Amino acid sequence: MPRLVRAHKSAHGIDGLVAARTLEAQSEAHVAEILKAADAAGEAVVPIGGGTLLGIGNRPRRFDIALVTKRLSALHVYDYRDLTIGVGAGMTVAKFSATLAQHRQFIPLDAPNASHATVGGTLAAGWLGPRRAAYGRARDLLIGTTTVLADGTIAHAGGRVVKNVSGYDLSKLYVGSLGTLGVIVSANFKTLPLPPQFRLAVAPLPEGTRERAAQHVQRLEIEPTAALLLDGFRDVLPFEIGPEGAIVLAFEGSPSVIERATRSTRSALGAAGVPATRIVDAAAHEMFARIVDAYVATVPGRSLTLRVLGLPGGALARENAAREALAPTPALLDAIVDLRNGDAILRVFVDGRIDPLAVRGTLSDAVAALRARLPEATLLARGLVLDGEIDAWGSPPEALEMMRGIKGRFDPRGTLAPGRLVGEI
Amino acid sequence: MTVVAERLVAALGPDAVHTDPEDLAVYAFDAYSENRLPTAAVVPKDVREVTQIVRIAADCNEPIVARGAGTGLCGGAVPTQGGIVISFSRLNRILWIDSANRRARVQSGLINLDLSKAAAHEGLFYAPDPSSQKASTLGGNVGTNAGGPHCLSYGTTTNHVIGLEFVDHRGEVVTVSQEDAGYDLTGILVGSEGTLGVVTAVEVRLLRLPEAVRVYLATFADVESASEAVSQIIGAGIVPTALEIMDKVITGAVEAAFHAGFPEDAGAVLLIETAGLADDMDGLELALARIAKGSGALSWRSARTQAECDNLWAARKGAAGAIGRLAPNYYIQDCTVPRTKLPEVMHRVDEIARDHRLVVGNVFHAGDGNLHPLLLFDRSRPRDVQAVADAGTEILDTCIAFGGTISGEHGIGYEKRESLTRLFSADDLATMGRVRDVLDPARRFNPDKIFPSSASCAEVRSPA
Repeated sequence: MPRLVRAHKSAHGIDGLVAARTLEAQSEAHVAEILKAADAAGEAVVPIGGGTLLGIGNRPRRFDIALVTKRLSALHVYDYRDLTIGVGAGMTVAKFSATLAQHRQFIPLDAPNASHATVGGTLAAGWLGPRRAAYGRARDLLIGTTTVLADGTIAHAGGRVVKNVSGYDLSKLYVGSLGTLGVIVSANFKTLPLPPQFRLAVAPLPEGTRERAAQHVQRLEIEPTAALLLDGFRDVLPFEIGPEGAIVLAFEGSPSVIERATRSTRSALGAAGVPATRIVDAAAHEMFARIVDAYVATVPGRSLTLRVLGLPGGALARENAAREALAPTPALLDAIVDLRNGDAILRVFVDGRIDPLAVRGTLSDAVAALRARLPEATLLARGLVLDGEIDAWGSPPEALEMMRGIKGRFDPRGTLAPGRLVGEI
Repeated sequence: MTVVAERLVAALGPDAVHTDPEDLAVYAFDAYSENRLPTAAVVPKDVREVTQIVRIAADCNEPIVARGAGTGLCGGAVPTQGGIVISFSRLNRILWIDSANRRARVQSGLINLDLSKAAAHEGLFYAPDPSSQKASTLGGNVGTNAGGPHCLSYGTTTNHVIGLEFVDHRGEVVTVSQEDAGYDLTGILVGSEGTLGVVTAVEVRLLRLPEAVRVYLATFADVESASEAVSQIIGAGIVPTALEIMDKVITGAVEAAFHAGFPEDAGAVLLIETAGLADDMDGLELALARIAKGSGALSWRSARTQAECDNLWAARKGAAGAIGRLAPNYYIQDCTVPRTKLPEVMHRVDEIARDHRLVVGNVFHAGDGNLHPLLLFDRSRPRDVQAVADAGTEILDTCIAFGGTISGEHGIGYEKRESLTRLFSADDLATMGRVRDVLDPARRFNPDKIFPSSASCAEVRSPA
């Protein structure tokens, strides 16, 4: 009999479905024990870190056990002079960042709600932060993993060194798998030296300036580490953002580089008809975190947030397409457009005057209208229960059958997060 | 002519199929010593022909080995079971470069350096730069997840590949992208050494050419002190674009070949490159020079001009080739250790070579902790051959003992497959085997590579 450790009465619901029971993993071996038993008993297990990104993916077909990894939070090894670190998957992103900061290092996971989000959950959810064009995705900084498979097999991949081609790079497969192949229990990363200074440049956009401003931002002589256009999300920034939103640029580096970047940004945005660029230094980290939190911030009961990926050059066009698609519907739109990576984050919501009973239908129709233009839009966060009514994923990938084959080989009994991934994998 | 050869000729025409032993000889080996003639070597001109080859191979139950330029050092391109070798020498075009979005899509036979040359017109470059980049292909680079001196700050091939087109075991063309929902098949295919499919096109990201580049040369009394300087640089939170060490054996050979101006009296030279914004360069040089001197540097020199920088790099990248001046044969090992362990590990490598009465030259990506000891020998002397094999194994064991791995960038190939069990448990390997069960159920793609022979099909396949 596996040790059954009951968690606090925190119901980790996924789209309205709540697990029959919640277990807190105590160790790698414990995870193996739980999975093996569940697999044999035909029980479905969904691994859960901080539960901050459960809005990604479909409602599981079955949900018997919520396996919470938060206690697997140990710092296993931090060779800061090697610029590598290994942690338990349940360490929070905030703790992870604080640990790294002690040695003036960082790993820009840029996960929302960092004080609750876990490292393992951020990996499993395939979180894509706004600084990835500058520093790499989580998958690019990940150098090794330990993962427990549905049958209890403990599988290592990669290692603790920064350069490694020894066997298949299975860690890549687990990133973004939403726990459908295995439960990540620990992860090793290469770390980056923390740049000496972090500055945000915030430019409210006057009428008719956004297209040109976006183009100028994409050609800046010093590249920002993040370049976002906030259109809506008026509560995120502590000042007026202009009729066409605001551009927020992050610059990181030495003081002289930051000064040069600021000068060239002011002149480029000035040439695009954007007169004022505010500088945020002391509060920059906090403000940046608020923006990242906004990616999954919901309007309770009234919003669905979708993400569309693509080339940076088409990012603004994707937001425009979303606005056009939603125009005939009662739905409203807040958007974050990532000018470096190309993502459009689209928070579709309705105002409070709509009959609460009609909200789900209205949003469902709005998402259908949006997907008619942007079929690849995937769900990122939800402010209401959908009961599986909307597929969280957009158009399926070409290699879906191959993915199904891999799922079948790793988890033949469908024990792990069944149905959560694209194509109901 | 064999049945398989007849069918290939019927499908692709006689010009695309080689079956004469003298023609096949060039496809029998790569830069590793193993060799075996394939049944046929095929040079397809498009993706459709690749699908035909894979289908014919399946019908005739022949293995398939995809081959780039054959520069691999671990026997990854050797057709150890015969079968069909697919050469990509005709699939070598750049399909497009999208400079606004900094992307390029190329056929897998494109030579690595040709991409950066073409991208330079747009102010861009392709970062992974294996020393073989004048010859090796993008498809081969994808197979081994190739690195190079500059992956210290830019990352290896996997960090730059956005998507792939490949022909799967059924002979179907499949396109995968990191931007797809679902599993990251791109990430699995990169570094799989041709065992999961035949990659026909690669989409990569390009980077802006840096505004300023500087190259520095520091000399040290020995490799250990140069390694110590590297550890100090990384430990100080400075990640230059390259940190390369060459010992006296190598600099002597390189100097004779390239006249790069390496001081021949020093025990080791450390080549440092910084790239980025001009504003940062002076500050970085000061910091780097201070650390180097603190670690016992005997001299410090800055390459001031582009020509000087290029000259130093040409010498570094040609190092392995220059070794031919010193001995008839050399064996290059490739393993990675945590960077702070470098001084100890280099000391141990030196001891191992001495124990086996071998001359070792070291030229390596020190910033990544990626060692490349070159063991010099004469193949005609059996004692040498055995000593090299034994020393190579001891070096691998040393790296594993120090928390490292058995291949940093060359791959496992045929050569190191038996050593993979030193690093991974049977469960770890069986988990990798599960992916192969799906993508290559018949084990037709590049058999005998990566996985140990002891873990034959039955063992590598986990219980059904």
